[in-house]
Amino acid sequence: MLALLDAWFVAPFDYGFMRRAVVGGLALSLAAPPLGVFLVLRGMSLIGDAMAHAILPGVALGFLLAGFSLPVMSAGGVLFGVMVALLAGAVSKMGGQREDAAMASFFIISLAAGVLLISMGGSSVDLTHVLFGSILAINSTALLLIASISTLIVIILAIIFRALVVECLDPLFLRGQSRRSSWVHSVFLGLLVLNLTAGFQTLGTLMAVGLMMLPATAARFWSKRLEGLIGIAVVLAMIASTGGLLISFHLDTPSGPSIILLAGVGYLLSALFGRYHSLAAKLRRKTTPLALEQSS
Amino acid sequence: MSFFADVIICREAVGSSGTAAAGFMGFSFVGKWVAAMSERSLSRLQLHDLHLAQGGRTVLEHVDGDIKPGAITALIGANGAGKSTLIQAIMGELRPISGKVICTVDKARRAWLPQQLALDLTFPMSVEELVMTGSWPSHGALKGYCAAHYRKGRDIMARLGISHLAHRPLGELSGGQRQRALIGRTLMQEAELLLLDEPFANVDSDTVDILIRILRQMADEGVTIIIVLHDMDHLSRLADEVLMLSGGHGRWVAPSALSHQHASAKVVPFALGGRHAGTA
Repeated sequence: MLALLDAWFVAPFDYGFMRRAVVGGLALSLAAPPLGVFLVLRGMSLIGDAMAHAILPGVALGFLLAGFSLPVMSAGGVLFGVMVALLAGAVSKMGGQREDAAMASFFIISLAAGVLLISMGGSSVDLTHVLFGSILAINSTALLLIASISTLIVIILAIIFRALVVECLDPLFLRGQSRRSSWVHSVFLGLLVLNLTAGFQTLGTLMAVGLMMLPATAARFWSKRLEGLIGIAVVLAMIASTGGLLISFHLDTPSGPSIILLAGVGYLLSALFGRYHSLAAKLRRKTTPLALEQSS
Repeated sequence: MSFFADVIICREAVGSSGTAAAGFMGFSFVGKWVAAMSERSLSRLQLHDLHLAQGGRTVLEHVDGDIKPGAITALIGANGAGKSTLIQAIMGELRPISGKVICTVDKARRAWLPQQLALDLTFPMSVEELVMTGSWPSHGALKGYCAAHYRKGRDIMARLGISHLAHRPLGELSGGQRQRALIGRTLMQEAELLLLDEPFANVDSDTVDILIRILRQMADEGVTIIIVLHDMDHLSRLADEVLMLSGGHGRWVAPSALSHQHASAKVVPFALGGRHAGTA
């Protein structure tokens, strides 16, 4: 029994690349889910997806210029992500079109450009690598980059936290209170782009959104408080990233989809058995007696 | 995080008051203060020949007025008469075509409760947390709340009779409870200018009584209050001044004249039929 546990859960980490991958995954699991929680609460769940497509041409360009170098590819990704976000914002301001419509137009252009760039300079193997990620490729430089970006995201999120909460709840109030209120949204989109570029190495550009959104949507079934949502989402993401890596190691599946599918299983289980709004909660329909509520 | 921010803010405060250049700065500060005090006795909100338009259509012309501090000014008029438009202009959300709004109240001390709230009620936030966000002018985005501020928040909730709802999510409140919580936020904000757009719509009578009492207290403390009203009963209980909007013009009328003239009417004459519909 012990030997089996050892073979399943401990032995994989004898390999250096697995150790680096799991540390990278845990770092991402700290940074990504809080962003996802805010996206879900603002009804912007699909913006993450759009941004993930938007960074692809930048990543591809970096790949063409410097080969498989994570810092260069990440820099390209951040550059393109921020550019698309700014362009979408500008178009929506200028033409009265809603921001999501402009974003949808730009991200699909980006995706096409990205795929074209990659296929110009490399093989289909490279394309799969960028789109779906690979744990084998995480070296120390990559790990350092992922950890630094995740730390930066957590720190900046802590700084803008109150402003972000107030902006989500009542943008009109924040506008009256602070001249810098429009920054909050931009900084938040910037964090999103940063997080996606950090995630594409392990998860791939398209899958990186999964670690952000799935734990956040699953957490909605477990908590009604903001702190609860963020905490639960982070724990779910950590379980999914570690478990997914182990599955990918043992079953020889690509790491990105394994991690995201495990997070997906977490989401489905939450939807079935969660505390609030889940199928089980609907069937239970238990309420607190009035007397008990008043005494508490 | 907030702890560090606290320390930084304190350091900055000590640094600026301790500099040698403070003499000169202090002098100009006193000048400003004297100016501010003399303004305080006058009105802090003035409308000068205001011309307002929405989407290319003139809504109001030649609106003048001194809104008195410490008095409750009621804004009345039929649907589409321009009440909400005027409020937007006062808040600086709408640029006048000509004329101007002179408001000496600091932007952070202006509170506006529009009829159609931008408030996202699905956001997981409790009543207490909402009230505490009102401390933005003094705490900003970073400074941590201290025990005294939490106490102030609890006192405010007690005044409004919502202490028992402190930890209730906003989405589970009734219309009246929500309105009380929002007034709680403006109290926390120590608002000096308060603009209310039909605050008593869809609100229970207990809440109306409490809000009328609190608004009167705020006015007595020198807060400038403008309130859009439709109900004659509320008008006679609250209004010290009345600005009536009709036909694109504003007319100042005495509240006593209104209530005598229409003593039998339940609804303000210009607002007939408009109590449940939205306004322009």
